[in-house]
Amino acid sequence: MKKIMALGLSLALASSAFAQLSGNYSWGGSTTVGPIAQQALEQLQKDNPGFKASYELTGSGAGVKSLLAGQYSLAGSSAELSAEQAAAGAVATPIAMDGITVVVNRNIKLANISKADLAKVFHGEITNWKDLGGPNLKIVVVNRDEASGTYGSFYDIFMKSAYADKASAYTKNAIVTKENGEVAAKVASTPGSIGYVGMGFAGEVVKAGGRELKVDGVAPTVANVVAKKYAGSRYLYIVTKGAPASGSVEKAFIDFLLSAKGQAIVKSADFIPLPRK
Amino acid sequence: MKRRNYGEKLAEAALLGAALVSVLAVVFITVFLFRSGLPLFRKVSLGEFLFSTNWAPTAKEPHYGILSFIVGSFYVTGLALAIAVPVGLAVGIYLAELADKRASRFLRSAVELLAGIPSVIYGLFGIALIAPAVRNLAGGSGYSVLSAAVVLAIMTLPTIINVTEVSLRAVPRELKEGSLALGATHWQTITRVLVPAGRSGIIAGVILGMGRAIGETMAVLMVGGNAPIMPKGLGGMVRTLTMNIITDMSYATGDHLTSLFATGIVLFVFILALNIAVQLFLKRSISEVEGAANA
Repeated sequence: MKKIMALGLSLALASSAFAQLSGNYSWGGSTTVGPIAQQALEQLQKDNPGFKASYELTGSGAGVKSLLAGQYSLAGSSAELSAEQAAAGAVATPIAMDGITVVVNRNIKLANISKADLAKVFHGEITNWKDLGGPNLKIVVVNRDEASGTYGSFYDIFMKSAYADKASAYTKNAIVTKENGEVAAKVASTPGSIGYVGMGFAGEVVKAGGRELKVDGVAPTVANVVAKKYAGSRYLYIVTKGAPASGSVEKAFIDFLLSAKGQAIVKSADFIPLPRK
Repeated sequence: MKRRNYGEKLAEAALLGAALVSVLAVVFITVFLFRSGLPLFRKVSLGEFLFSTNWAPTAKEPHYGILSFIVGSFYVTGLALAIAVPVGLAVGIYLAELADKRASRFLRSAVELLAGIPSVIYGLFGIALIAPAVRNLAGGSGYSVLSAAVVLAIMTLPTIINVTEVSLRAVPRELKEGSLALGATHWQTITRVLVPAGRSGIIAGVILGMGRAIGETMAVLMVGGNAPIMPKGLGGMVRTLTMNIITDMSYATGDHLTSLFATGIVLFVFILALNIAVQLFLKRSISEVEGAANA
């Protein structure tokens, strides 16, 4: 509690350094970036009574699509921009680091999974925990929908080398969820399930008795992600159409996220602040 | 006198305007849906779209087969009705014939409350209680056909209960009195006279409930599992037409987007067919009641 108050106080002090923001904005995108963006907005709106912005949880792909279509003036993304998105004028600014964390239900007592086995599980090639040294129990795969940036980065990081065709890489025999939070809730409540989430959401599974898995023997800890020892390391981005213009609200939002106080929000949301240069 | 005429005319015009707005809305939605969805069939044959189970809209060679989702929609809806119809009938009969005033007032407000609960709440209830129960019962992950059907059954109950009660109350008194006067017991009167006489109205209510079930999105999305595959048994995962649209809508582009509108057309046609069926049964129900009253 003290910590939160101290954080709030320092936020209030820091944000007074920014010029007053005003106007109404609708933003959205990655559900992984959601907690960071929403906490930052809450703070900015408190400090700037004339400023209102919303952040919708639509998924990275959907967010960038809406940005390019002009519905949003800013989007969150948990995946690197595709060549098409970049060519259409999207510009991504990294605001935090994340380790995609593999989570399992509490009835699976596994500690580690190899990258190759992980790809096979999500491809549907391994369908029973006994093949991984666990109990004789069917694996319930919890996947994300294709709008998800985490879906994209999980494929790029863990599956691409084994399955070159993205469309057929993931098994179709999987629960398809629309949010990180939904993955966490379903993995926590479904025996034999496995899923993946941004590291800020892994706590929810662990709280419900679930477990994080090491991948190739490396745990998704802050140190391992920063050192890029953990395979699932990636950046989270704020995306704008064109480079964020100086003096714009979008630029102010990004600057706030990159400030010490913004990075403190990143940390309080259980993601990793950008390493200081 | 003149003034009142103007007032009346104005009110009439306003009502006509309101009626036209709703007609126009239907026309616009229909035109928009078909214009956005039909272009798909320049690239994909209607046969492949309706009868293939291969849904891979983002593959290099995309496939748009929605048979699994059509089957899923009907599987879930059919099962939901199999649960909801007997229960709904029983409650409707109880309310119309058996319950005393206090019990029926209490029960009726409970049913009304059930109808007012947002579908996302049904979904949460499904995740917390029904999915684990189904997991123990039918195996699998619990996110399944049966879970979705149970949630939908509860959601369609109010419709079926209300229409059953109203249909039974609409049966002319003379029929009931005649039956009782001939020495039939109350129960015999209900099963042999009242329910058969209210049959068409009850069927219309069931079809109305079916329409609600087939169009429901949020609650089934939360408990159905949403895997784009043909449902395998009660414990298997299912994706319905509505779930398919909402899952992909936010990011789909090009033909993929068009295919979602085409999925919407299929849903629209089903709902339209159901509504026409309701109209037919209601018409029959009205003429039956009138016929019985005149006899």
